[in-house]
Amino acid sequence: MQCQIQGPSLDGFLILAALMGCAYQCTVMKDCSRTQGREFAAKLQAHHPSLQRLQIIRNLLNASLTRVYLLAVTSVIVQVSCSSSITAMVKQYLSEVQRVTKVNVSVLGSWSNSKQEKEENLSKFLEDLGTIFSHEPWIQISKEGDSKFWSCSTLQKLANNPKEEEVILIYYDQRKVMLSHLHPPLDTATSTDHEADDASKLSAIFHTVAKSKILFMTDRYDDGPIKLTHWQSDGVEASIIVELMKQASVPACMLLTFLLSLVSGICRSRVLKFWPLSFLWSKLSTCEQLGHRLQHLQVISSSKKAQTQTQLMRKANIFVSLLIDVALGILLMSWLYRKNRIGHLADTLIPAADHVAEELQDLLQWLMGAPAGLKMNRALDQVLGRFFLYHIHLWISYIHLMSPFIEMILWYVGLSACLGLTVALCILSDIIALLTFHIYCFYVYGARLYCLKIYGLSSLWRLFRGKKWNVLRQRVDSCSYDLDQLFIGTLLFTILLFLLPTTALYYLVFTLLRLLVVIVQGLIHLLMDLIDSLPLYSILLRLCRSYRLAAGVKFRVLEQQDGKPLRLLMQINPLSYGSVVQMYRLPTYSCYPKDSWTSLCKKLFLGELIYPWKHKGEKQD
Amino acid sequence: MEPVAGRRWQKVLYERQPFPDNYVDQRFLEELQKNVHARQYRYQAVVFQSGVVAQQLCSVCVFVVTWWYMDAGMLSPQGLFGAALVSSLLGYVLFDAVDGGAGRWESGRTRWADLKSTLVFTAFTYGFSPVLKTLTESISTDTIYAMSALMLLGHLIFFDYGANAAIVSSTLSLNMAIFASVCLASRLPRSLHAFVMVTFAMQIFALWPMLQKKLKAQTPRCYVGVTVLFALAALAGLATISSVAAVLFTSLLLTICGLCPYCLIRLQLLKDNIHGPWDEAEIKEDLSRFLM
Repeated sequence: MQCQIQGPSLDGFLILAALMGCAYQCTVMKDCSRTQGREFAAKLQAHHPSLQRLQIIRNLLNASLTRVYLLAVTSVIVQVSCSSSITAMVKQYLSEVQRVTKVNVSVLGSWSNSKQEKEENLSKFLEDLGTIFSHEPWIQISKEGDSKFWSCSTLQKLANNPKEEEVILIYYDQRKVMLSHLHPPLDTATSTDHEADDASKLSAIFHTVAKSKILFMTDRYDDGPIKLTHWQSDGVEASIIVELMKQASVPACMLLTFLLSLVSGICRSRVLKFWPLSFLWSKLSTCEQLGHRLQHLQVISSSKKAQTQTQLMRKANIFVSLLIDVALGILLMSWLYRKNRIGHLADTLIPAADHVAEELQDLLQWLMGAPAGLKMNRALDQVLGRFFLYHIHLWISYIHLMSPFIEMILWYVGLSACLGLTVALCILSDIIALLTFHIYCFYVYGARLYCLKIYGLSSLWRLFRGKKWNVLRQRVDSCSYDLDQLFIGTLLFTILLFLLPTTALYYLVFTLLRLLVVIVQGLIHLLMDLIDSLPLYSILLRLCRSYRLAAGVKFRVLEQQDGKPLRLLMQINPLSYGSVVQMYRLPTYSCYPKDSWTSLCKKLFLGELIYPWKHKGEKQD
Repeated sequence: MEPVAGRRWQKVLYERQPFPDNYVDQRFLEELQKNVHARQYRYQAVVFQSGVVAQQLCSVCVFVVTWWYMDAGMLSPQGLFGAALVSSLLGYVLFDAVDGGAGRWESGRTRWADLKSTLVFTAFTYGFSPVLKTLTESISTDTIYAMSALMLLGHLIFFDYGANAAIVSSTLSLNMAIFASVCLASRLPRSLHAFVMVTFAMQIFALWPMLQKKLKAQTPRCYVGVTVLFALAALAGLATISSVAAVLFTSLLLTICGLCPYCLIRLQLLKDNIHGPWDEAEIKEDLSRFLM
């Protein structure tokens, strides 16, 4: 396979990675100039800060190196025996491989591992090979006896300056590099072209190695004069079960797709779109969550194979997330239904609601007196207090009416926890919303009253000063009012002004209560979002097979010997957990605060109704 | 500097003259004029005009005195209502009779419109009087007094006395007076008292100045007489409450009507405006927008 990086004006540096036995492959990178190579090494270190020992290379480069070549090629080591007709056979073999696997292969050089001292005809033979398979530069790697150290030389036939080149050998675990996926640094957008160029070279290495996967999956081992050394099948995580699952997944996916299309067809039917029902669906968060999960299922069960790495990871994440969700839900369900916990819950629910209502009544009595020493208008106080008390009375009667059925309702509703923990949390949030519905009502009454009062006051204050709001010009203009308008206006202004503290206090109290409920609901939703969007599969992968998610590479210096080329070990630098989560987060219909703090405060001050959480996809009103 | 070549100095700069640029000759400041626009006031006229201010002061005084009587229980609401009604009718008739119907014909306001606004106002006030009564229950009396005093002071400051100044705002002054009346009325024993008080306030702060303005324009002598009578009535009422207050009020009135005109005329002599053939920077903008 030929995969030389045709870089612009790269000539001069060679870092040659050599193969050592079956488990390693060699990778060489295309030549580049010395300064560029130095810069590249420096930038590589800057991009991937955990690149250790790159200093060694830099020092070497600073020394009197003339040319170091960087080549990116994955090579297959073809074992040949010294025979004269070997060249024709090799050429035929290579063309066959190319035909079968559609991968371009060519001969880069020779590699000899002789047990005894160097033979004359062996070296002659190797040089002859060099003349036959013309490749520029021709690489010769040899090792004597049992020594660990390789010697490597390059022949530049068409070289302009035939100087001796310094060679560095880099070892790496080919299996890991083949399976891993290089993630570009997240700020590639801001880096310069040169840096991006260098970073893309590293990704080219990974890409090259990954492309050679097909070569080594063809597990043929002929007994001819030409033998392939390649990655054996140890380490392939294949087993009978996985194979069976792969075979069974296709019909399972089709069945699932069919069922899902049925369900979504029912959901989209006209029957459920009538006004009261559609309003109800939009308010209940359970329906949103169920719709979201349905979407996820549709993504998983699609029969198309995932094209890119991101799609594959997303599918896997969704699948694992669903699995964990359902498992947790079933766990919760089993805990709930054991020892009649549902019954206990139902028994405590009614007294809890009663308790809340009593607390509210006490609060209202306090407001009707002289709360915190504030001076309230007694008449208005009494009116508002009695109105709200009557409401609470209605609510309590309603709850007591429902009490025989609560247990049964809870029992059936709890069954839906088998659809997932997130659904159970949604149901909890909805139950809280239903139970505190009277607080919501009070908040709306208080807010409307207060808003009306503020609006009236501002308008009458303008009348007091003899001004009017000009709607056309959107400004305040002076205006000459009639006498009776002035009288009535001033009277109303006085009345509203003196009644303001009372209304404001009621509004404040009920707004605080409402905000409390909203915060509780918001926390539940936040938890749900967390469960929804956490990429569990990616995190597990990072934990167990950290080489699969690569952020870059690091180098380690191996044992050296004088006169022999420098040996480096290249290891994969895995992505940090933070970037894993950031990169593979599942998108959710997340609810985030609609208003900034200042606009929220302004709305509270003016008495406008606040809906603090906005769902993505909701129309902005 | 002496003229060098005997040439007369000309007040131009476009000719080369043997004088320096900042040279002036003995005709300097020939064209200066002093106090060109100074007005010559006559004492009688000023006193006459100051009657408006005195009028308003007396209105405020009468209002406060009436409230005091109502609060003390010496004046019954029905009595006040009857008296106010009678005087309103009288004033209404007088309003039209004074200029022979010309003003009404000019403004185009029918009697029916008048009646309507009266009915609306009365009904409204009567309907809201229970609310007005309990409005300031929880507020301390001192606060009420302070607020009313401030509002009445504001009423006096912003009233339209006929001067064309930026601070004048008849709407604001009227509204402040009504506000003060509502504050004071809420202190009275029953809601009928509150209703009558507010109605009386409207009459004395809105309708009475209108009548007075018309009288002043049409029959100056009658106007002077009415003002004096009104002042005396106010004084008498105040004297029954507190003699110190009466003395102070008298001195205030005399200061405004007698001393202030005299000071104005005397101070005119100290005026020192200079005018000449130079450009004066005059502020032509209407600054009233800075005052509310």
